[in-house]
Formats: sequence, C-alpha cells, structure tokens
Amino acid sequence: MKFVIEGLTVYFPYEFIYREQYAYMVELKHALDARGHCLLEMPTGTGKTITLLSLITSYQLANPSLAKLIYCTRTVHEMEKVLDELRRLHLYQEKEIGSSRAKILALGLSSRKNLCIHPVVSSETSRESVDAGCRKLTASWVRAAAETNPDIETCSFYQGYEKQGSEQPLPPGVYTLHDLRVYGRQRGWCPYFLARQMIQFANVVVYNYQYLLDPKVSGIISKEMQKECIVVFDEAHNIDNVCIEALSVNLRQNNLDGASRNIHKLNQIISRFKETDANRLRQEYNRLVEGLAQQGNLHGSDNWLANPVLPEDILREAVPGNIRRAEHFVAFLQRAVQYLRERLDTDTVVKEGPVSFTTTMSTAAGLDQKALKFCYDRLHSLLLTLEVTEIDEFLHVQTVCNFLTLVGTYTRGFSIIIEPYDERMPHIPDPVLQLSCLDASLAIKPVFDRFQSVVITSGTLSPIDLYPRLLNFNPVIIHSFTMTLTRDCLCPMILARGSDQLPVSSKFDMRSDPGVVRNYGRLLLEMVATVPDGVVCFFVSYSYMDGIINSWNEMGILQEVMQHKLVFIETQDYVETTLALENFRQACDCGRGAVFFSVARGKVAEGIDFDRHYGRLVIMFGVPFQYTLSKILNARLEYLRDTFQIKEGDFLTFDAVRQAAQCVGRVIRSKADYGMMIFADKRYNLPNKRNKLPQWIQSQLREEHLNLSTDMAVHIAREFLRRMAQPSDPQVSKSTLLSQEDLEKMAAMPNF
Amino acid sequence: MEEEDKAPDMEAWERAYADDRSWESLIEDESGLLKAGDDVQQQRQHRRRLIQASGPRIQRGIIRYLCLILDFSRAAGEIDFRPSRMAVVAKAVEDFVREYFDQNPLSQLGIIVMKNGIASVVTELSGSPEAHIRALKSNLESFGEASLQNGLELAHTYVQHIPSYGHREVVIVFSALSTCDPGNILETVKKCKAARMKCSVVGLTAEIYICKHISQETGGSYAVAMNEGHLKEILLEHVPPPAAMPDASSASLVRMGFPQRGSEGAVAICACHKELRIGGGYICPRCRARVCELPTECSLCGLALVSSAHLARSYHHLFPIPTFDELLVDASLRGKSSFAGSCFGCRIQLSGGGSLRLRCPRCKRDFCFDCDVYIHESLHNCPGCETLQEEAVT
Repeated sequence: MKFVIEGLTVYFPYEFIYREQYAYMVELKHALDARGHCLLEMPTGTGKTITLLSLITSYQLANPSLAKLIYCTRTVHEMEKVLDELRRLHLYQEKEIGSSRAKILALGLSSRKNLCIHPVVSSETSRESVDAGCRKLTASWVRAAAETNPDIETCSFYQGYEKQGSEQPLPPGVYTLHDLRVYGRQRGWCPYFLARQMIQFANVVVYNYQYLLDPKVSGIISKEMQKECIVVFDEAHNIDNVCIEALSVNLRQNNLDGASRNIHKLNQIISRFKETDANRLRQEYNRLVEGLAQQGNLHGSDNWLANPVLPEDILREAVPGNIRRAEHFVAFLQRAVQYLRERLDTDTVVKEGPVSFTTTMSTAAGLDQKALKFCYDRLHSLLLTLEVTEIDEFLHVQTVCNFLTLVGTYTRGFSIIIEPYDERMPHIPDPVLQLSCLDASLAIKPVFDRFQSVVITSGTLSPIDLYPRLLNFNPVIIHSFTMTLTRDCLCPMILARGSDQLPVSSKFDMRSDPGVVRNYGRLLLEMVATVPDGVVCFFVSYSYMDGIINSWNEMGILQEVMQHKLVFIETQDYVETTLALENFRQACDCGRGAVFFSVARGKVAEGIDFDRHYGRLVIMFGVPFQYTLSKILNARLEYLRDTFQIKEGDFLTFDAVRQAAQCVGRVIRSKADYGMMIFADKRYNLPNKRNKLPQWIQSQLREEHLNLSTDMAVHIAREFLRRMAQPSDPQVSKSTLLSQEDLEKMAAMPNF
Repeated sequence: MEEEDKAPDMEAWERAYADDRSWESLIEDESGLLKAGDDVQQQRQHRRRLIQASGPRIQRGIIRYLCLILDFSRAAGEIDFRPSRMAVVAKAVEDFVREYFDQNPLSQLGIIVMKNGIASVVTELSGSPEAHIRALKSNLESFGEASLQNGLELAHTYVQHIPSYGHREVVIVFSALSTCDPGNILETVKKCKAARMKCSVVGLTAEIYICKHISQETGGSYAVAMNEGHLKEILLEHVPPPAAMPDASSASLVRMGFPQRGSEGAVAICACHKELRIGGGYICPRCRARVCELPTECSLCGLALVSSAHLARSYHHLFPIPTFDELLVDASLRGKSSFAGSCFGCRIQLSGGGSLRLRCPRCKRDFCFDCDVYIHESLHNCPGCETLQEEAVT
C-alpha cells in the first residue's frame, strides 16, 4: 500500500501495517530529516527490516541527493533475508510507479569465501585459504606472467570480469549473494570483484558490520562512500563489543612461533631476490623514501587488509629510515618478536598502558615508537614487492605487525594485559598477550563523523540511554517501541524458588549448592513434561553448564529428562554444534521433542532462531554476568568509570540483562508465534534487573508471574499452552493492523 | 490464575470451583430469582458453532469408517483432568461412540490404543456401540510411551479392506507431548495421505507440531481441549459426517441388503459369533446367513446389511434444514404486532426477552432458541415448512 507520512510518500509492499511499524517510520523520518543519528528499539517479529527498507528507499526516491543506504547485518543469513525483503519491496514499487522511476541497484557484499565461483578455490574451507587461493590466481604479477607463459594458471572468471565487467555495470535490480554467483556464472565474471566494483553505483548495499567498523576492512571496501549515506546497523545490541573486537589483538605462543617462521622465510626470499632481482628492492626503497608504502593506485586484486588503525590516525609521511631497507625491517621484526616472546614468558599477570609498554620496548629492545606505527604498511609493501601470494601462510607475522602498529599509534583507550594462564584453569600454562581496546566509541567514531545518518536498531537495546554514552554520540531520536499483540503470546516468568521454596540462583556462592542444582533440575524436568516440541535452556557459561549437567547426570535427572525429550548440547566446536542443532530441529519436526542446552553469549544465543515449535519455552538458568575476575573486563570497567562516568555495577547488570533478553528473545520471531520465557534466578526479581529488560518483555511480565516457585510455573505453563493452542480469531488480529483507509483517516487527523 | 497465586495450597477439588467462578455469572432478575449467566450471550455462542458447522450445502460422506486412536501412554495418567486424563477421555469417547452411531447408522468404527510404545487393536471396525464401549472399559490402564507412527500404521492396515465409497477417517485423542517412533513418521503421514485417510487430532495438553502437521497434510482438523467440557465438545464435532473429499466424489451405486428379523425361537448358527444361537438375529437376504446386529457386513457374502430406519436417519445430513436467522429485537419495533408473536414451535412468548428470536428463512416463522436447537439437532424437520407443504397439498 501507499501512504503519506508528513509529506513523504511511502511505498509498503503489504496490505496492512502494524501500528508500531508506522510509529517507527515516523520517528525514523524525523531522524533522517534532521540528518542525525538515531537509536530505535523495536521487538523482533514486528517487521523491522521491511519498515526500515520501505521508509528509507521511499525517502531516497523523494530525495535523489541521498547517496545510498548501507545496511549492516551480522550474518550472511540475515543479509540474504534483507535482500529478499528488498526484492519484494522493489517489485511493489515497480508496480506502483513504473520500472523507470523505481530503478534501484541493491546488492550484498561478502567475503570471497561466500562469493567465489572458481571450482577449485571455492571448495577451500577457511576464509583465509580462499583469499589466498584467489590471490594466487589473480595477483597482478601472476597475470602479467601468465600473458607470456600460458602454463601459469589464472582465474577465467577474473579475466572475464577484467575484460568486460569493469566497463559494463550490473543492470539495475536486487542481487543477493546467490544471484551474484548465478549472474557471475552466466557471464563468466567474478562475482566478488563485480560486487566490489558495483557498490560504488549501488543505491543499497548490504554487508557485514566489519566492512564499516573494522578499519582493516573498511579501509579498502568502504573508503569511497559519500557522506550522504544512511547507515543502518541492524541487530546492533552488541555493537560495542564488535567495535572493541575490531581494534583488539591477542598474541599467543603459537602466533610468535609462526611469526618467527615467517620472518625466516621472508629472509630467504629477500636473499633470493637480491641475487636475481635486486632492482625491485631498490625501487621499493625509493618509493618508501618518498612517502607512505601505499602510495599510488594498487590494482584491485592486489590489495588486502588495510591498516588496522583508524583512517585519521594513519601517518601520511615517509617511512622512517631504520625500516626502509627490507633486511633492516625484517631484523626489526625479529627483534620485536623476540621482545614479545620475553614478555610472554612471565609468571605473573601484567597490566600496562600502551605508553609504558612502548617506552620499555624502546629502551629494552631499541624499537622506537615511530617505526612501530609503520610496521603494518611496511610489511604490506614488502610482501607486495616480494610478490608473495600465499598470504595465508603469513598470517602470524601480520598479526604481530597489526599489534605493533596499534600499540605504536594509540596512547589511550587501550590496555595491554599479559596473563600466564587462564584464571579458570591455573594448571595449564597458556600465556597470552592481549592488546585490548577499552573504548567502543573509537572504532565507530569515524562512521558517525563520516555519514549523515546512522541508525542503530535492535530488538533489545534496553536500557536505551546507555548506548549513547558507550558509543559517545548524540542521537537526535531515541525511542523504544512496544509490540501490539493480538493475544498474549509472550509469557515471561521469573522463577525465584524451587518446589521446596528454597531460592535458586547462579550466584557464585550458591551455584554449586546441591539444593540449587537439584531445584534447577526439577524445574527442567517438570517443564519438559509440560511443554511440547522444542525447549531451549541457556546457562551462564560453558563451565557452569558442564558442571550442572554432570551433577544432573549423577542425580539421575538427566535420564528422566531424556524420557520426555532428547537432549542436545552446544559445544565450543562449530561443526558439532551445527550438527546438534540440525538433529534438534529434526527431533522437533517428527514429534519426539528435544531440549537444547546452550550458553548465553555463545553462537546459538546470538544467531540462531528457535521460532515456532523449535522453541516453545526458553529457560535462562541464572544471570549471565561476565566473568568479573577477567582482567580485560576490569580494565574496561575502570576505563568506563573514568571516562564516561558509568558505574561498574550498572554496566555489568546492563550487559547481563541484555544477554538474557537476547537469549529469551530467540523464541519469538513473529506475532503469530508464541512462547514462554522463564528467568530462573531470584535476582531477576530485583527491580534493578527487572526494569532493565526490554519494554516489550516488561509489558507482558505480569505481577502474578514474579517470584514464582516451580509448581506455580508449571501450572501457569499448562494454562498458557492450552490457551495458545486455541485457534486465533482472525477478526481480532486484524485490529492491530492498519489498512490504507485507517492511515488516511489518521493523516486527516492533525494531532495524531 | 490469580486465585492460584493467592492460595497456592488450595486443594485440587477446591480449585475447580475457584477457576470456574460460577458465582460471578449469576444474575438476579426483577423478581429476585437467581439465573445462571447471560442467557442470550450463551445462546449466541451456541449458534455460532452451529452456523460454522453448517455452511453451504455440500456433498457429505455418510458411509464412514472411523478409526479412533486413543493415547493411553504414561501421560494419560496425569491428573490435571480429574480424576485422570484417561478416565476423562474414556467418558468422552463413550459419549462420542453413542452419538456417532446415533447420527451415522451406516458407518463403522474401530478403536486402537497406543501404550508402551506399541499400538494395539481394542475393537475391529464394526457397527455396535455397546461392544466398543465394553471393550474400551476393560482396557483402562496407562503406561509407557505413545507412538503415533505405530497407531497410524495400524489404522492404515484397516483402511485397505474398506470399500472405495467409504470415507476413511482417523481421530486421534492424544494426551502425550511427544511420540516415540520406530521410524520416520513423516513417511507414514505421506502414506496416509495417499490412502485418503483423513486424520484429525484432539489434543489434551498443548499444540504439538507433528499433530498439526498430520492433520494439515491429511485434511483433518486439530484442536486442543481447554477442559473436560471442551474436550467433549471438540470430540463431538467429529460426529456429523464430513464433507466428501473432492477426489472421492465419483457417484457409484452401493449394493445393500435389508434383512428381515428372524423369527423368535429359530435356531441358527450365527455368522458373526460362529456358534449356535437361538432366536432374534437378522437373515441376510442373499446368502441366508444369520447376523446378530445391524448395520453390519455379512461375513459370508460381504453384503452391507442395514435397516431402512438407518438409511432414513442418515438422510438428513444430505438435506439439512437451513440455519435460522436471528432477528435483532429493535426497541422501535417492539410494540408492533409483527413482533408480538410467539414461538411457532412451543407457543412461548418471544417478546419478553430471555431468548433469541429466530426465523426460518423458508417459511418465515419465528422460533425460540430451545426449539431451534431441537429442530436442528434432533428433529431435522422444520414444523413451519412442513405445515406449508400440507397446506399446499390440501
């Protein structure tokens, strides 16, 4: 349908629109009008994606000056979903205003691993090996050599793209990754490079967070984006963590060993070059005298990850003399690795700021800070000069250079923590040197500065006022929308006591109490006997999950659970977990019923949906606080307190509750769906936790669902399930929808 | 549920009343008498179901072969229905069986019970309600798991012997929340669909995906009982004959025999019990075999044996009386003579309120709610229309 919001004609591909979608559009439009950033929370299952797309593309139609919409998602799966929605919208727009006006070019961009169609390279398993495989076939010197020597293998798709694709852009339309691959196969063009090139012309670009937030990637992908872009971060509740990870580096023993091997190999290559092609090295030297390593236009297929520091911090000057010559630079790296190795060999935990770290580094090993800053670019230049294609083998030395550059560039917002072993397993020596970014606002600042409007949205952004402080920006609109429900299809409960009326909690001093373990076990047992199909349980950590499952096994609870439902467990292994999930779904499909044990903050909690019968109930055992003895967390808390005046307790609770909300939010993905959520910890009863839950959960959390014991929860669950099993009245569900006429009526009323 | 939280220690029998809150729906009328609830509202509720059920005139299958699969697994022993789910189910099924044969005398029914992971036959497909009820009552115990697949497979073997004009139906009463199957149940569902079995499920606890899947695939219905009364209600929804399946609609003649009752004192070997019986019984007109009950199939020559009364009783399903229209009592019309009338059936005054005013669309006569129910559910003839015909004849 088509309607007008404050003078803007909005095209919406469905016949009805939810009230909250309309409200969302209004707020979003205000933010776009004000050319500012906004923060919007709307529960999942209300059609956030289509609302966003519909308003922004309509806005683009009305304001052609707007360059493009950059839509950031977390996973490839989400990306495809967004593009599918967009396609539907596009078809509708074409129908409404004709294909000439509704011309749009939208595409997804992902790594080579997801886009490569080369028969051999695309069968590689890891991202790095696909990248390297591609480079081996497409690097400029490889192709130059192939011109004279036909035995050298190149990629026919890349050649095809080079020949024609670069001149003849993609016809307008919506392209998912799959479409790009199909199109690439048809034409014989490389979809990856085609997509990379086409994002300059596209109206809508859908890609991963990293492509904007991680300076290493955004430096090459998103450099050319105009200011008049609208950036959307969907599912952005963890955006601060993504920002931090983008600027953090961990070094372990094996990284350093690998780096040493790499350096050795580099030495060999250098000496070989000296004998055969000394001229090249001299040329490089001259280039470095003149300026930065990266000067001049590199060929598209040659560039790889850009500098890890933020764009405005990269020095535009000549590389210092002591690392200009290849062999000097390699020696410099060798000293650095040696120094890091010494630092890693320690019995105590060391915490340092970047300033003191670089100072001791320069006095102890003679590595000056200025040279450190250039490490990454210098290495990059060297690898190019040496025509190295197997960059996946040189990952370790890249990591080290990455570290050196970051530590040389930043003086605040970071901290260096060296731990000789993992706190939780003190017997196993596993030294790690962590450069951890403490300030989430660092990585996202260039995004806020560069683009006109940045929209941060998710189903769970509560408490919403903390995000502007964490990310250090001033949104023009902050709004949290609730869901209009046709029936009470959400049933959140707070369970504080077991059936023996003793409190349950995952608090550190209570969690190993057999009484609490048994009460949790009884809760699960009663619930699997009451709830059909899929049940999902979340625990606060892997170690806690292991412990409690062990005890349940000894108590015989697990065996009883298995009489009702099959049990599947998430492990840290990706393949194992995927397999477990697949079997879990199958067990739900064929009526056997299954329960999935998973961990808050794990892969499952973040990206997997348990909608419909796959998740009729989710139990959150305990409050998923972060591991509070972690040195990194403490450093971050300290930094937050000193810089942003955020109290430690506030941040910890905020983080724990948003994780819990994220976990329980997995079960409800649409309004037609229904599900129960049990928060099994007495601490959820406290107002400071409860009030931090998202609005849409709080509004369903009725007084009589607080402070329950197991038997009461079972009773409520039974009633709820029976009620939800009744066919819903289509007449009632219409009442939350607005039709074209309703909207026109509303528009006529001035004070809506 | 609020009651529940205030007094969690309430006994189960107390809770039944607390949940009901039957006292809240009591209404005092002008003369101080207590009346239970809002009559008109309840009447409307009742009629809504009727209207939904009737719909436009459709071809119905009146020769039905219904297989009732009961779940007597461990979950049937739960006591959230009192005294237990199993007892409640047995009672509801008893009512259902009686009602089923009352309304579908030409049809047959068989009972399968699932327990301990297997499905077993309680009664074969046959026409006698008492035999089913007796067999069911002697089979009341619950343990082990339920297996929908085994139940459906067993029902599927039944189906193979059913003549093609018969309507194959399965009604599953399911208490458990999961099914423990030996193989892939989805394959079995496909098989059932291919055999044109219409599988409906009545759940006792919650919506289960596989049940929904089965009913959707095979064109059946799925409902979950809220309480005992609701369970009975949704089970009884399966009593009226269903719409004929579209692909089964080729018209065909069915050979039937109308046996005569044997004379008292005649001694014959009964074909169904295979023993000597004295008196009673019916004699098959084709092969002269003696059978005990009607309707049945002659076990010697396979002829369907019915009595003419049975046929007549099934007849009304094919030509139902139209649902009556409710006339809204408008205040301005109340005084007028056209509204002052009384019920054509029982002569009760309709102007007083307390009952809906319903009008037959054919004869334009008004009826009260009670007569409406009687006409549609028992009489299957409209007195108004019948008198019209008589007048036309004379």
